[in-house]
Amino acid sequence: MTPTASTPEAPFSDREIDPRITSAVAHWGGRFAAHGIATGDFAEVTRDLVSWDQWCDAWSARGEVHAALGAAAEVEGRLVSAGGHLVTAALCYHYGKFLFVQDVPRMRGAHLRAVELHTRALPHLSPSGERVTIPFPGRDLQGVLRRPIGVTRPPVVLLVSGLDSTKEEAGPHEAALLARGVATLAFDGPGQGEAEYDLPMRHDFEVPVGAAIDALSAREDVDADRVGLWGRSLGGHYVVRAAAFEPRVRACVSLSGSYRVLDTWERRPGLNRMAYVVRSHSSSEDEAARRLEAFDLAGVTEHVTCPMYVVGGTADRLTSHEVAVRIASEVRGPVRLNVIEGGTHTGSNKPYAYRPEAADWLAAMLAA
Amino acid sequence: MADEQVEAAIQHWAPRFVSNGIPLHDFRETTAGIDRWDDWCAAWVARGRVHEELAERALEGGHRLTAGEHLVTAARCHHFGKFVFVEHPDEMRAAHLLAVDAYTRALPLLRPPGRRLEIPMGAATLVGVLRVPEVASPPPVVLLVSGLDSTKEEVDAYGEHLLARGLATLAFDGPGQGEAEYAVPMRHDFEVAVGAVIDVLAGIPTVDGDRVGIYGVSLGGHYVVRAAAFEPRVRACASISGSYRVLDSWAGRPRANRMAYQVRAHLDSEEAVEAFLVDYDLAGVAERVTCPLYVVGGTRDRLTPPTAAERIAREASGPVVLDVVEGGNHVVNNMPYRYRPQVADWLVEVLGAGASA
Repeated sequence: MTPTASTPEAPFSDREIDPRITSAVAHWGGRFAAHGIATGDFAEVTRDLVSWDQWCDAWSARGEVHAALGAAAEVEGRLVSAGGHLVTAALCYHYGKFLFVQDVPRMRGAHLRAVELHTRALPHLSPSGERVTIPFPGRDLQGVLRRPIGVTRPPVVLLVSGLDSTKEEAGPHEAALLARGVATLAFDGPGQGEAEYDLPMRHDFEVPVGAAIDALSAREDVDADRVGLWGRSLGGHYVVRAAAFEPRVRACVSLSGSYRVLDTWERRPGLNRMAYVVRSHSSSEDEAARRLEAFDLAGVTEHVTCPMYVVGGTADRLTSHEVAVRIASEVRGPVRLNVIEGGTHTGSNKPYAYRPEAADWLAAMLAA
Repeated sequence: MADEQVEAAIQHWAPRFVSNGIPLHDFRETTAGIDRWDDWCAAWVARGRVHEELAERALEGGHRLTAGEHLVTAARCHHFGKFVFVEHPDEMRAAHLLAVDAYTRALPLLRPPGRRLEIPMGAATLVGVLRVPEVASPPPVVLLVSGLDSTKEEVDAYGEHLLARGLATLAFDGPGQGEAEYAVPMRHDFEVAVGAVIDVLAGIPTVDGDRVGIYGVSLGGHYVVRAAAFEPRVRACASISGSYRVLDSWAGRPRANRMAYQVRAHLDSEEAVEAFLVDYDLAGVAERVTCPLYVVGGTRDRLTPPTAAERIAREASGPVVLDVVEGGNHVVNNMPYRYRPQVADWLVEVLGAGASA
């Protein structure tokens, strides 16, 4: 799909397509497909969009298609199918919401529906999921805990989202770990998902990670003495910070995390910067940029002593793979560095080039 | 600028490749590097090698599950290099051997694992892969039937939804398909192949050979209707985008498709193929199907119009579920969520799985 200029030969193609739509179609197909959006859904939903303003409603409508399939399956007792359809429904709503930051009321409406549908899916998944509340100052955090079938007191990995991902988008990451005997806790931290309206994003991510480990420590069904982190995108930055200052973290996987967020600030797409403004509860780009000064791993990486697995991609538009190299060179513990040739941001175009290996590595580190 | 055949491939095949296990980016990157159709097979084999190398590294580290995943992807890459590359038989067969080899190496690493079965059919031998989920008592088993250019290495992908619901799967290469295609030409009376498979299942105690379903895609969706009509041991049949009469859409088919028919029928001219395909006709056949039937068509199918699904559904004599998917392409692989879970649930209901688990 390309933007079409008005020409006399093409009277019906003289709509200016919003460059944000053009860019979305060009860049997001891989991420959406890797998380389970069907090729036909992506093509149909994006085909007729001309304005970014239509994005959220278009994906929400597609979410309702899957929600209806899920509801029918629930009524008929086809529960495996119900779980699958409801997860996809939530994912469609999530993608409607994830960067729709210029219209917070509509974004939040779609988000509520994503959470509701995902929550409804949880009992039908294999293994099932359980909503977990993590006590936190100002507002409790919400997570989804899933435990591998047939494993007593498994180690557990916290799945840390980034700027625009949430726990509802964690499915494939959960699956890779669960298949290897590791429990998963995908949770929305400050500035993320369910917490983003009340709690601005914060650089000292060891605080929410510590709160999550506290909550896990109260449970008998996972082993909170064997906790790993798995962070993607900005979450790949957060987990390095958390591994540096939260000593209970035993192993850490960082995917495409920035070293210093402001290093790439000016080159970021406008929607990305606006998401930082909204989720840091700033009133302007300047204010957001001031807050982001603390999002810097200088002097932080050298505090990381647990084993680390660091992933970068040579085709990453947002975070150069050189950042992964730098993080890997500065941490103090054992490091595995995986720079994916041709890999895009978080390796979502080639998940096979890191995901199974990183999951194997974490399982080994946590003695799953 | 890629030639016309490559352009058509890029335009039409992404949904099938992706829904059967090729990462979208692998599809784009691999096809973007192909200028001439003649280079198609080599490019996919090279991509398959990438996944094989990942598998070898995983095995060295003792990571069997990961190795299995990579080998399946490798096998599918090699398979798609081979699948309609019939104008270069030696290269096609070499890629095919790689696909079979990678898949065979994956089998013990899969969850549940797979096991190769040899199936005597007259003087010939067919090969299938049996996968049995961990359930309390021998589950029903569903035969996964390929079409003109799919093979067991590809159609095993349709089995994932079945395994997750407690059904065993047996993907096999019938006459004119996969491992059999060089020695055994395709044949319209596919009940012979299905019957041979069911005979073998009777001797396998880990599955219930009295509860057999068949699930066919594309030309396999035609074959299964034929088999359900004449093989009384078939207890349920799912037909996805099967032709009613193959010749009805003959002229509109891409050249590579017609050529594949010629090669896999072991014939030497298009005229001979057309004469041969007269028997690929469900008139008088569909009406003999008395077992429960689930029929799927897509309104945007370029190869088989949805009217074929409607006609099959109308003529069959047993209980029928008809699902014509709005916007669905051939085998509705652009929207697999529209039929794969539903067909799996339906097979569970008809064959009675789950209750025994």
